[in-house]
Amino acid sequence: MKLTQKISFLAITLFLFNACSSDSDIDKDLEKPTLTIQFDEAFPKACEQLQRGQTYTFKAKATDNVGLVAYSIDVHHNFDHHTHDDQGVECDLGPIKTPVNPFLFKKNFTLEQQPTAYELSITVEIPNNIDVGDYHCAYSITDQTGWQTQTSIDIKIIE
Amino acid sequence: MLQKFLCLCAVFSMYATAYTQNSFTLKGNVYNAKSLEPIMGVTIFGEQNMTISSSEGSFVLGPFYKKNTSIRISHIGYKTQDITINFSSSIENLKIYLKETTNSLKKVELHGKSKNRLYEESPLVTYNVDEDFLQKNRENSLMQTLQNIPGVSTINIGSGQSKPVIRGLGFNRVVVVQNGIKHEAQQWGSDHGLEIDQYGIENVSVIKGPASLLYGSDAIAGVVDIQPPKIPHIHSFTGNVNLLAETNNDLLGISTGVQSRKEHWFYRARLTYRDYGDYKVPADVINYNNYVFQLSKNHLRNTAGREANASFSLGYIARHIKSETFFSNVNAKNGFFANAHGLEVRTSDIDYDRSNRDIDLPFHTVNHFKVLNNTSIQQGMHKISIELGYQHNHREEHSEPVAHGYMPKPDNSKERIFKKSTYALNLRDEFKPNDRNKLIYGINTEYQDNNIAGWGFLIPAYNRFTTGAFAYDHYELTHDFHLMLGLRYDYGTIETKEYVDWYETPVHHGDGTTTNAYVQRAKNKTNKYGNYSASIGASYIANNTKYKLNIGRSFRMPLANELASDGKNYHMYRYEKGNLDLDPESSYQIDVDFDHTNNLFRVCMSPFVNFFDNFIYLNPTANYNNTENLQTYEYTQAKVFRAGGELQASTTLFDKLTLDGTLEYVYSRQTSGPKKGFTLPFAPPLSGLISANYEFKNTRFFIKPQLTATAKIVAAQKEIVPPEEITNGYQVFHLSIQSDVQLFKNLAPVTIRLKLNNVLDTKYFNHTSFYRLIDVPEAGRNISLSMTIPLNH
Repeated sequence: MKLTQKISFLAITLFLFNACSSDSDIDKDLEKPTLTIQFDEAFPKACEQLQRGQTYTFKAKATDNVGLVAYSIDVHHNFDHHTHDDQGVECDLGPIKTPVNPFLFKKNFTLEQQPTAYELSITVEIPNNIDVGDYHCAYSITDQTGWQTQTSIDIKIIE
Repeated sequence: MLQKFLCLCAVFSMYATAYTQNSFTLKGNVYNAKSLEPIMGVTIFGEQNMTISSSEGSFVLGPFYKKNTSIRISHIGYKTQDITINFSSSIENLKIYLKETTNSLKKVELHGKSKNRLYEESPLVTYNVDEDFLQKNRENSLMQTLQNIPGVSTINIGSGQSKPVIRGLGFNRVVVVQNGIKHEAQQWGSDHGLEIDQYGIENVSVIKGPASLLYGSDAIAGVVDIQPPKIPHIHSFTGNVNLLAETNNDLLGISTGVQSRKEHWFYRARLTYRDYGDYKVPADVINYNNYVFQLSKNHLRNTAGREANASFSLGYIARHIKSETFFSNVNAKNGFFANAHGLEVRTSDIDYDRSNRDIDLPFHTVNHFKVLNNTSIQQGMHKISIELGYQHNHREEHSEPVAHGYMPKPDNSKERIFKKSTYALNLRDEFKPNDRNKLIYGINTEYQDNNIAGWGFLIPAYNRFTTGAFAYDHYELTHDFHLMLGLRYDYGTIETKEYVDWYETPVHHGDGTTTNAYVQRAKNKTNKYGNYSASIGASYIANNTKYKLNIGRSFRMPLANELASDGKNYHMYRYEKGNLDLDPESSYQIDVDFDHTNNLFRVCMSPFVNFFDNFIYLNPTANYNNTENLQTYEYTQAKVFRAGGELQASTTLFDKLTLDGTLEYVYSRQTSGPKKGFTLPFAPPLSGLISANYEFKNTRFFIKPQLTATAKIVAAQKEIVPPEEITNGYQVFHLSIQSDVQLFKNLAPVTIRLKLNNVLDTKYFNHTSFYRLIDVPEAGRNISLSMTIPLNH
């Protein structure tokens, strides 16, 4: 190889791999928010039993390094045992059954202040005429960047 | 008189991957010029060697050490011919026609350039692989086989399916072309794999950059061009049977193909069947979020699959015309991991572990039927090519019916059904007004009819029409210095169809009231797009060193999902929202290619810099969809800067040991928009491949036995966008032994390959795998045995 070729070869290689390392780093948010029910006042907890006709305040805690933007709650039946929760506790599930008038509670909220820590507090009214049985309570929360964290809890609605 | 002087053509040297070449060989056939019958016993004299043609008229002569040489062909009763040969690489298929009469032969010229030379002269940066590469690297799907090409990677969906990624971009930004016609399926889908039989393919050419000049919209990031196979030799019959067995997913596969030619007519036929069980990963449990999935005997449950393919083609060749019609059908059924589909964790009553070979819900089926015709007519200085194609893709995604949100439980498992018919016509004229210019111009037209069904809505039905006209000129400035300049204009329309939910959803009104309504998800709407592509490049060949420079602009029309998605993707926990105002993507790229070969080593480098004006990106927002409680993902556009390239080096030691190393890297940044500073999804990490190949001496039974050891070293991928996870780096080792064995006395040797993938059963994660998001590691150790049995002498 001629010297010029060697030099040009080296130059291109250096350029190529320099381009890789010289990163004009903008501070990127690579952290997901956290969402937990592992504290005393959290409600409901895994395998919690809730009564029809009652009104409850659901509580969970969330944090984020940048700012929390929106959260949602989704209470739906698990009569077909389609999923299980991620709380690490096995709850006794009732027999599989066909829903007649299952309870469905879906709501989402926006946090205008975009706090880095927030305690979710949601009033949930359970009507008298809904099917009793196994339910799921799923929370999710997003941060400014669009990271989302979810958690879900197996619960029971009883008479 | 002219035709009396010479009768010859020379063509097609297949082996593009030219390593250190000190010598050339010449292969060819001798025919009777009148009867076209092969002639046996013809003496072919080189300057230092000679040989005699076989009963099929074939011969091999070599080695030649000089680029210019002459050979003499003589046989009793035939006129002796002298031919001047100008090697640029070994010649595989020199056809010599001997005349019976005693006409005098004054001058013979060798026309035609080898394929390798044509590639070197083209300023486009392409990478070609041949059948030998495909056989050596054979994996479970075509794209997995091709991922050893530097700059090419895959998005794998389990063990049997994958889709192409070129320099970090995939989905609809990479076009797959088979026999001149774009393969059209559901490329946009994350769990869609390429429906092409990987057997029976002889040549694949990969363009690693914008190529809409040649291939139209969608070829913005690259092209995988599967070229039509070579036309069989006159009066020939060849065929082979490929057998494959694998331990990791208990795969059994068979593919058998034959091809034959009389004089003018020829045909090919192939049947392939593969059946595999759940694949095994080096883990007993999968931990995803806080969920724990116990695996039974390391099996990733319900990832079994099967594939049955058939193809047939009939062709005619005469002096000025060549025409071949291909029929093919690919049919596959693949299961998806049972515990989580997408990101959604699922429990089920199905007893998945009763067998590792059954395919339960969720699964998909796909059938892809194609009829293509390639015709080319040589008329003086013009070569006119016509490619005509019809293809029908029918894909069904089945999953257990479950009530989701306001959707009640459906009564069947047909979640999504896509039926797509595509009609294509390409016309092209290759015009050579003189020795220096080659002007290629033509049109491409395509019409797609996309229909949907099933209870899960993601994208609407749509019709798409595209047409484009292009012209490019290849100009030979000097023998070794070539220029290329091209322009293209495309016009396209996308007509999306309306879609209304089949169930009611509560709609909240401004006055605080709520009513139930069948929500309209997509409207009837027609969008029109026009855009241009351009390319300018140069190539220079300085003996052993080749340089290429190319600057191109490409574009891509937005797809129906990008324009009109309005669906809840429960498997991904997201609500996908299209945007009818999206502009076509445009991309600019500078490619450089440098290739140096000498007696000791070969080194190639292909860096690139790329800029997108308005890359279409599915952006996760911080908001929830109002009624569905799912995180909203919106199609948005951002400027994107990308740079990177591939580096390859190889050397042969002691004539027997070949060492190869490749390195590939892509840097990408969104430089505007809501994710400014972030990379793009599915960014491949820095990776290198080192392989050593040792060729042993021939023994009585083993011909060309060789051992190959490969190490793949991949860096961590810390460049991520939501909802991706950082993936750690890894090293994984593979071993393979290959040899030709003279098993049957009257047949050509059988090729046997024994491969050991992931020798150490390493647990590692592939950042671009479909199952990466749910923390499923890649396949564990696999032993595969394959055999290619020829059916001819």
